[in-house]
Amino acid sequence: MNVLDIRGLTKKFGDFVAVDNISFKVGEGEIFGFLGANGAGKSTTINMICSLLQPSGGEIRILDRDIKTQSRFAKQSLGIVPQDLAIYEDMTAYENVSFFAGLYGLRGGQLKERTEEALAFVGLGDKAKSFPKTFSGGMKRRLNIACAIAHKPKLIIMDEPTVGIDPQSRNYILASVRKLNESGCTIIYTSHYMEEVEEICSRIAIVDHGKIIAEGTKEQLTATVTDVKDIVIELKTATGGEAERLTGLPGVRKASQEENVIRIHSDASVDNLNRILKRLMEGDSEIRAVEEREPNLEMVFLTLTGRNLRD
Amino acid sequence: MRKELWFLVRTTLRRIFRNRSNWLIYLGLPVAGVVLATVLYGSTGQPDLQVGIVNGDGNARVAADTVQFLGKLDHVKFANVTESELREQLADGKLDTGLILSAGYSDSVMAGKPDHIALHSVKGATVTAYFKSMLSSYVDNVSAMARIANGDTATFDRLYGQYSGAGFKLTAQSVNDTSNTKEMSTQSIGFLLMFMLTSAGSLSELILKNRENRTYFRIVSSPISAKVYVLSNIIVNLIVMAGQILIALFFMRVVFHLSAGVPFATMFGLLALFALVAVSLSLAVVSFAKSSSAAGAMQNFIVTPSCLVAGCFFPASVMPEFMQRVSDFLPQSWLLAALGKLQANGGLADIGLNFAVLLAFAAVFFLIAVYKFGRSDDTRNFV
Ligand SMILES: Nc1ncnc2c1ncn2[C@@H]1O[C@H](COP(=O)(O)OP(=O)(O)OP(=O)(O)O)[C@@H](O)[C@H]1O
Ligand SMILES: [Mg+2]
Repeated sequence: MNVLDIRGLTKKFGDFVAVDNISFKVGEGEIFGFLGANGAGKSTTINMICSLLQPSGGEIRILDRDIKTQSRFAKQSLGIVPQDLAIYEDMTAYENVSFFAGLYGLRGGQLKERTEEALAFVGLGDKAKSFPKTFSGGMKRRLNIACAIAHKPKLIIMDEPTVGIDPQSRNYILASVRKLNESGCTIIYTSHYMEEVEEICSRIAIVDHGKIIAEGTKEQLTATVTDVKDIVIELKTATGGEAERLTGLPGVRKASQEENVIRIHSDASVDNLNRILKRLMEGDSEIRAVEEREPNLEMVFLTLTGRNLRD
Repeated sequence: MRKELWFLVRTTLRRIFRNRSNWLIYLGLPVAGVVLATVLYGSTGQPDLQVGIVNGDGNARVAADTVQFLGKLDHVKFANVTESELREQLADGKLDTGLILSAGYSDSVMAGKPDHIALHSVKGATVTAYFKSMLSSYVDNVSAMARIANGDTATFDRLYGQYSGAGFKLTAQSVNDTSNTKEMSTQSIGFLLMFMLTSAGSLSELILKNRENRTYFRIVSSPISAKVYVLSNIIVNLIVMAGQILIALFFMRVVFHLSAGVPFATMFGLLALFALVAVSLSLAVVSFAKSSSAAGAMQNFIVTPSCLVAGCFFPASVMPEFMQRVSDFLPQSWLLAALGKLQANGGLADIGLNFAVLLAFAAVFFLIAVYKFGRSDDTRNFV
């Protein structure tokens, strides 16, 4: 049985096509990654799955039932962690979770039990009586998750649940995603951090400009890139502009730089490492480390679109 | 669905009223409006009228009854005095007015030609106007009966007996209806209308606030539909406004003894109808606004000026005619007009048009809101 089955889904805002005829299936027990750059159409797709936006075309089935004709059932089976925090600042953590769980029909003792369970699950058990305004960014993100899971949905959709938080909270969240999955939840995980998606997702769809441009397991996707390699060079100090000097070297398709780390996307067939290093040393750059990367999702994305995920 | 609705209503109410300042804003202000109206329009706060009576007609029946009748009026205090005492005390300001019934007064009334009665006053006419009108209507009634009886004592006795039995009660009830209390209560209601409009505005803004903090997203993605959610907001709104109405009416009647001259149930019904207008207006505003702060600004822009023109703060009659005509397009003035008709002893039939117009206002605003909400595809500001 497919937990989610999307066929020909389209959303237009006026003339602009935000989601363009996409189809995919998510099976039970999967952690399905939805990877794409800013504005690719991830949130728009998710908003349609959650009935927040009306699709311009196509079909969405949750647990084999059409969400248009059986929206109540679909919504009941769904838990949603929105991209932006969706919590009440003037209600305590406990009241937040309990309110949102109440929307799904939980009442009384069961509501209390599930609320406490969800708060404990995200590690906020001791903060039940505190107001979110006293929380750190990571704690708010965790509360945002707790609000989505107390009613024990079959399918949980997480729209960039780790945006803008410290590494510790991020690891905590990734661990809880795995734990939720082990407890039987199917998960759709949206992100533009490819490391996260690589780490936890069993299957991945890459979206760009509203279309799915590749889909498969990590291995399947990376196997498609045989003709390129990534070289990462770390400099001791950078003055900026080092990457630009590398463009035009044989085989170099793209060179980008983040502070003192240069990332070079290059043809695999051209042996150009020596020339790259020489060019850098000519410019008085001192090199600290050089690494040739295994094919990864970033490279897949770059090959397919010609852009970095976070350009 | 009913369970879900109730769940939403309960949690929203709890959220609103856990904040102390909201108690003040939603329930305190209507009371403040009543207080303000009494201060602004109650000028003297209605001290008792001090009346001195010189009864020169002894124990004649009509004279005695006249004194007794006047004694039943509210806010009037009597003292039996002699003529010289009367003059002295009027000059000192100890008495506001003096009533002199000289010998022959009763007989003249019985003859249908009242005479031998005089009212002395040093203060302005307004102070005694009420007293004077009550007195003259009494005297006129009795002499009219005398004319009808045309010398037949038995007939007169019968008529007079009925009148003093039933009529006394009737006048005792309308005693509160001085134009002053009417004005105070009308302006209290005027202020109440403004606070109802404001509170409806800020409660409907909750819809936008919940969009801005994205909790709306969660609510609509749960089994609860957007319709039920908006309905719950409307119900919360109506509950709060019903509270405002009850509190304001309670304070008017029980605490400040301001009778609007309209039965409680009628008054409540009329104001409840206005509550519907207020909710649907605020929903229409919210459906046009891009953000809660924009909605707030729009509400301010609409509510205060329209209340001003409609005569919520002071009687519309003091305004230029052009403004009075503009106020025909404002629901507040239709409500105040209905109130005026009822106070002038009109029946429910007389306010049928006002009722229909108010209902139409509510329906139009509501349809506008439904139309705008239904066509909105914009989650970008909210999601
Ligand atoms: N309500 C709307 N009206 C018009 N255009 C919209 C609306 N919502 C989204 N868009 C556009 O649709 C495109 C897809 O947006 P979407 O939010 O789905 O991207 P995303 O993949 O979630 O990006 P991000 O990683 O930034 O969250 C964007 O170009 C956006 O500007
Ligand atoms: Mg997004």
